[in-house]
Amino acid sequence: MNELFTVLLLLTGAFLILTAAIGVVRLPDVLCRSHAVAKALTLGMFLMLLGLWVHLDDSSAALKITLAIFFQLVTIPVASHLVGLLALQKKLPRWKERPMDDHRKTEPP
Amino acid sequence: MMTYALIIAELTMTVSILLGLYRLMRGPHVIDRVMAFDLITTCAVGLIVLLSIQWGTAMYLELILIVSLLGFLTTVAFVFYLNKPGTDEPAKSEIRKTKSEPRQP
Repeated sequence: MNELFTVLLLLTGAFLILTAAIGVVRLPDVLCRSHAVAKALTLGMFLMLLGLWVHLDDSSAALKITLAIFFQLVTIPVASHLVGLLALQKKLPRWKERPMDDHRKTEPP
Repeated sequence: MMTYALIIAELTMTVSILLGLYRLMRGPHVIDRVMAFDLITTCAVGLIVLLSIQWGTAMYLELILIVSLLGFLTTVAFVFYLNKPGTDEPAKSEIRKTKSEPRQP
C-alpha cells in the first residue's frame, strides 16, 4: 500500500516536470514559458517530495521534508514571477497571435 | 514495481534536463537562459530525491534544501543584475553594424 502510493506520487511528479520541460521548449514566448515553469514544476516537485516522505516514513526526516516542500512552494513561483517581470520591463518581442491583454496600446477593431 | 517506477522517473527527469539544455543553448535572450537554468536546477533536485528514495537514506535532505535554495538565489541574482540599465545584450542588427563598419572605408 505504501509502495503503491509512493510509485503513484513519483510518476505523477515526474510527468508533471516533463510537461514543464516540454512547455519550456515549445511555447513561443518568455511569459508563456515562465507560466509553464511556475505551475507544472511547482506541483511536480511537491508531489515528488511527498513521495519521498511516504517512502522514508521517518519522523526525524519529516521536518526537513516539510521545510523543503515549503521552500519549493515559495521559491519557484517567486523566481518565475521575477523572470516574467523582467521580460515585461525589457519589452521583449511577444507572441504575435496572443489574445487581448491589458498592455496593448492600440484598441482592437 | 518500485524499481521500474524509479527507472521511468529517472529517465523522465533526464529527458527534462536535456530539453532544458536545448532551451539554454537555443534561447533567444538571456532571460530564456535564466529560466532554463531554473528548470535544470529543479530537475537536479528531483534527481536527488529519486536517488535518496532508491538508496533509502535520509542523508540527502540537507543537499535537497541547499541545492534548491542555491537555484533560487542564482535566479534572483541574475534578475537583479539584468535589471540594471546598460546590461542589456545588444540586438543582432547592432552586432552586424559593428562588424560591417570597418569594411566601409
